[in-house]
Amino acid sequence: MTAELPPGLAIQKVDERIMTLNVGPQHPGSGHMRIIVQIDGDYIVACDPDPGYVHRGEEKMAEYRNYITNIPHLERPVIHDSCNVLYPYVLGVEELLGIEVPERAKYVRVICSELNRCIYTMYWLAIYGIFLGHSTMFMWPAGDRELLIDLMEKISGARVTHAHFVPGGVRNDLPPNFEEVCLRQVNYFEKRIKEYAAVFYDNPILISRTRDTGVLSREDAIRLGTTGSVLRASGVDYDLRQKEPYDVYEELDVHSNVMKEGDSYARSKVPWLDMMESCNIIRQALQKMPKSGSVRVKLKPNPKGKGLDSVYKRVESGRGSLGCHIVSDGKVEPYRLKLSVGSFRNLIALPYLLKGEKLGNMPSVYWSLNYWPVEADR
Amino acid sequence: MTNTATGIVRALNSGIKHIATKRFTLRYPEEKLKFVGDGYQFDPSTGVGIAGLKGRHMLFHDHCTGCQLCSIACEGVAEAIAMVKVPEEQKQNKKSIMPQIDYGKCVFCGLCVDACPFYALYMTNDYELSSFSKEGLIYTPAQLAVKPYVEQDSEIVITKNGATHG
Ligand code: SF4
Ligand code: SF4
Repeated sequence: MTAELPPGLAIQKVDERIMTLNVGPQHPGSGHMRIIVQIDGDYIVACDPDPGYVHRGEEKMAEYRNYITNIPHLERPVIHDSCNVLYPYVLGVEELLGIEVPERAKYVRVICSELNRCIYTMYWLAIYGIFLGHSTMFMWPAGDRELLIDLMEKISGARVTHAHFVPGGVRNDLPPNFEEVCLRQVNYFEKRIKEYAAVFYDNPILISRTRDTGVLSREDAIRLGTTGSVLRASGVDYDLRQKEPYDVYEELDVHSNVMKEGDSYARSKVPWLDMMESCNIIRQALQKMPKSGSVRVKLKPNPKGKGLDSVYKRVESGRGSLGCHIVSDGKVEPYRLKLSVGSFRNLIALPYLLKGEKLGNMPSVYWSLNYWPVEADR
Repeated sequence: MTNTATGIVRALNSGIKHIATKRFTLRYPEEKLKFVGDGYQFDPSTGVGIAGLKGRHMLFHDHCTGCQLCSIACEGVAEAIAMVKVPEEQKQNKKSIMPQIDYGKCVFCGLCVDACPFYALYMTNDYELSSFSKEGLIYTPAQLAVKPYVEQDSEIVITKNGATHG
């Protein structure tokens, strides 16, 4: 062909041996995104993740809503982890408006966010299990989530998208008798997830499929900017609940789970260990929580920031550090709101991990990144 | 090799043991989950809500003043509330307007309940709102005033033999 192409376009030279494969966006194994993989026989030579299919413009939408009506839509990126998605926003708005939150509300928030972390991780584990062909690991987490969803429903009145955190505390106090029910269900939940070891984590079939696949070294994990369980599975002890405690996390004994291997197996095991840690935190919080008191300070209608101001807050969500940058120009709406999410940072590692892997290992590497497509697109 | 074999046997064994354990299957609609309280309510004097399910709303005609604050609160969320004229003339509601809620748009966030300063709008435990047409999802003030009849009694029971909806 002669060089009559419009400027900016070029014909790509293709190697006869290389085949390009589109995984997704309709393929269930890719989530709401497309992964363009180039394969040579059974081996992946290049991979190009292509997110953006569920982009909703959350950040732009936030500029047209006031600080309170932003709450329901900002938790949509990860509906299973909605308390954690809202957490940095709420902390930021509180700093902008100069609100002091009651002590009891802080504990209620910690309990909610730990429950949400487990609910999210169980959902993720179910998906991880089914894409490895382990249907028991789909059924069990999907069923056992119910214990915690039931608790969240008792607290907030909704099974997902709780809209429970507001600037100034939480929407409502815990229902009567909650401590007892919560302790019973969380203890049983912990007993249940320990049983997953025999059937999944110690299962030689899982180990042979995930050991030494997609190895992310400690240096690469830091250099690529991964976060959360991916970073901790590569041997970096970094948990924001410990390093930059927010609300009452500094009064609680938080232990972060670190593994050194950095392979798919370690990345899938760290969230499971984190769930047991969450159960510990919930028990501690229930014990230390003030038994009565206010949970919400009254705001005046349409709260405004004080002039030009900006604030950045971040929390440890189920997928790693989740930050929210709010710029206020003294109006009732934020001037600009930016969400910095863990999913997107972990996705960056995917092309590096898949290079040289077999195509059959793609699901295990991809889902072990603790990645939620909707959150990455925002 | 022996490690692999024992691992597989352990996994199978663990699976087989679970044949007898109870599971989470709620036989809806014969069984329905029980919720705490009577639905989400809000106390404007303290500014704190009362825990409960965020289901279909309930409007108290004798409290509603037609102040439109619920509709303004919903504007940024879903624009589900429209203020409509109601025939009755009540002394606290001179304009005779009351909220009408479109459940095709509502996201059940409950911010309208938080906005109402006159204890007129609550949420109930009723979540079965399906309809054959979009118009059927629009609830007029008269429909919202009806307290729904709900029979919900299943709770999570944890026994030695697993947890289930009892
Ligand atoms: S619950 Fe939320 S979406 Fe529904 S009518 Fe009230 S404010 Fe609007
Ligand atoms: S329901 Fe409450 S907020 Fe809405 S118009 Fe009536 S009194 Fe005002």
